[in-house]
Amino acid sequence: MKIENQGECLSISDIPELTAQNSASFRDEVQAALGASPGLIEINLSKTRFMDSSGLGALFALYRATAQRPGVILRLLNPVPEIEQLLELTQMQQLFEIVRR
Amino acid sequence: MAAPLLEPARPATLRLAFAPDLASARAVSVAIRTFLAEQGVAEKELFSYELCISEASNNAVEYAEGYARNLRPVAEALFTPSQIELRVTDHTAGFDLPEKIAAPSPLTDRGRGLFLIQSVMDEVRYLRGTKENTLVMRKKRRAVPAPAAVTLDPFNPQSVEKYSQQLSESSAQMARMAEELKLRSETLSSVFRCCAELGRIDKVSASFEKRLLVDLVHLTSADWYVLRTLSADGRRLLVTAASEHDLASKVIDLPEAGGTPASIEASVAASLKAARFDNRESSDPHEPLRTVGPGGAGLVCPLHFGGTLVGTIAVGRRNGDFPLGRLQDEVIHAFAEFLAIQTLNLRRQKDEVRNLVVARELEIAQTIQQLLLPRTLPQLSGFSVAGGWQSAREVGGDFYDAIALDDQSLLLMIADVMGKGVPAALFATTMRGLLLGLAAQSSDPSQLMGGLNRLLYKELSSVSMFITAQIVHVDLKTRKLTAASAGHCPLHFVQQGRRSISTMQIKGLPLGVMPDTEYPHMTALMGTPAALLLYTDGLTDRRNPAGKTYGQTRLKTWLRLNAIPGRSATEVRDLLATELNRFRGDADMSDDQAFLILVEEGAGVARIVPAGRRRVRLRRGAFLFPTTA
Repeated sequence: MKIENQGECLSISDIPELTAQNSASFRDEVQAALGASPGLIEINLSKTRFMDSSGLGALFALYRATAQRPGVILRLLNPVPEIEQLLELTQMQQLFEIVRR
Repeated sequence: MAAPLLEPARPATLRLAFAPDLASARAVSVAIRTFLAEQGVAEKELFSYELCISEASNNAVEYAEGYARNLRPVAEALFTPSQIELRVTDHTAGFDLPEKIAAPSPLTDRGRGLFLIQSVMDEVRYLRGTKENTLVMRKKRRAVPAPAAVTLDPFNPQSVEKYSQQLSESSAQMARMAEELKLRSETLSSVFRCCAELGRIDKVSASFEKRLLVDLVHLTSADWYVLRTLSADGRRLLVTAASEHDLASKVIDLPEAGGTPASIEASVAASLKAARFDNRESSDPHEPLRTVGPGGAGLVCPLHFGGTLVGTIAVGRRNGDFPLGRLQDEVIHAFAEFLAIQTLNLRRQKDEVRNLVVARELEIAQTIQQLLLPRTLPQLSGFSVAGGWQSAREVGGDFYDAIALDDQSLLLMIADVMGKGVPAALFATTMRGLLLGLAAQSSDPSQLMGGLNRLLYKELSSVSMFITAQIVHVDLKTRKLTAASAGHCPLHFVQQGRRSISTMQIKGLPLGVMPDTEYPHMTALMGTPAALLLYTDGLTDRRNPAGKTYGQTRLKTWLRLNAIPGRSATEVRDLLATELNRFRGDADMSDDQAFLILVEEGAGVARIVPAGRRRVRLRRGAFLFPTTA
């Protein structure tokens, strides 16, 4: 996993999977990087092949951590179709800006 | 031409037990995804199955508590072209699975796992057991037609396609063979594991069958099992182990010879032949196996070896649409045979141990009995003393003793402790010791008996036992007998001036009945030559095969005819023993018996024979004779 702080944008990428096994460390690492108060948090899911409910839980934890900060955008970039379906099934697509490019 | 649909007789199966941690749970999800991909499941479907296994495996790890944290959950995938079934067996406290879980709010942190499983799969069931639960997840699939077998024709322009079809079929067959091989090797390893366990433990665990059956259920991907064993009377089948509590309720009566079995298991037990069953084809409401559900189906195998029935085992699945295949049947047969042999072996081992214990107890009993009877009896001038003893059991409660007080007088004692075995023997040895001590202070039978009662009363009454006894003081110089009795049978002797045998019946309560009681004595003068017989009631109560007792009259007549001048006490004793054995014939001994004889032989020097070192060897049912010289 790669975390890059590009000024206003905190970019997280290279996440092969988000599961019960690694979701806690994912959450903790990203939350630790939030200290710089970015305006945009972009989670690049293009390389994420698998996610389970714990992975969804980690994304939800990020949503909650940023919900109190007005103006902060939480963006999921290029999720694979299966993960996009998972977000829709759990109605969690409402919490994030999902972008394909 | 449409290719015929090739449906495997049984599903391709992957079964993985995993360490209870999240990393292992993750590895298992990946392995099952790979397995399903190998079966040809499309990429877009794989995500769903991986998700379900992942959710269920994580729950199995995260909700395990206490000792269950050491137990390995099991994940399984069963594939047929028309259905995929996933199972995860956990060791958690379990939970109630609602029929339909509503979509959780996106703003909540929990409850998504089971919701996702239910959303993705067609059927989800949670089978709860006492120590483990299984989440069963099923998804129907549109069957993909498998390629038909082709004949290789190198001149056919489509031969490349046919080669490829045949290749894919061969690889499918190899996968099935590999699966079969794996199943057989797992069967063997389960059996070996069980053998090793049985060999290791000293105390044979009663639950070895259960562990074996858990393996069997996993190997055959069955849902349930019921193990029944034959009752001791051989008339009923009792549940020894069952996968679920409600399967363990009913006792099955076996039919009388020629009768009709009332259930499938009874029929299998009666015929010693395995039988398949399917609840969808039977409507008998009393059939115990209906408990597994209206769609349940499976196999019932007899547990037998060498013609000996041990019990039955029923194994199956709740969904008859997805029955056990031929290979599973074979595995169940193999387990049934192994279980039967092990059970019979265990019984044999237990019998051997029991025989060893009995032999050791007999040895101990013989040692005790040797302590009970005096090794030597005093022989005084002109008189000889001999005793005989025979026990109905290994340790008897009858005993006697003779104590020489001086050259001219002795005490004879005989007693019968109520109750047999070791406790009676302990009282007997105590009493002999006490009598020796008391005899140093007094030689009066009344006083001795009263003293014994006072000393023994507390101990005897606390265990509700009592002793009947007789003590006779013999003064050889004056030829005077003084006797006291504690509820004992009479004394027979040759009285001065009489030709027939006299009887002296003295009143007195048995020792241990009242704390302070008087023991009156009676006296008489012995005739010439003297003869005196003390005995326990086992002697006169002895029955012949016709059921008649020997009785006092017969005993007195025998004594008059056999205690004749010139015979030593030993000779008379041997003759009496022979007479009693002759009378008994083949009849069983019902009670112990003992007797003590004093006879007058003629002139001689008073001598007291020191205790010898000869060991007394006992044979059950044979008279025991201490040495007299």
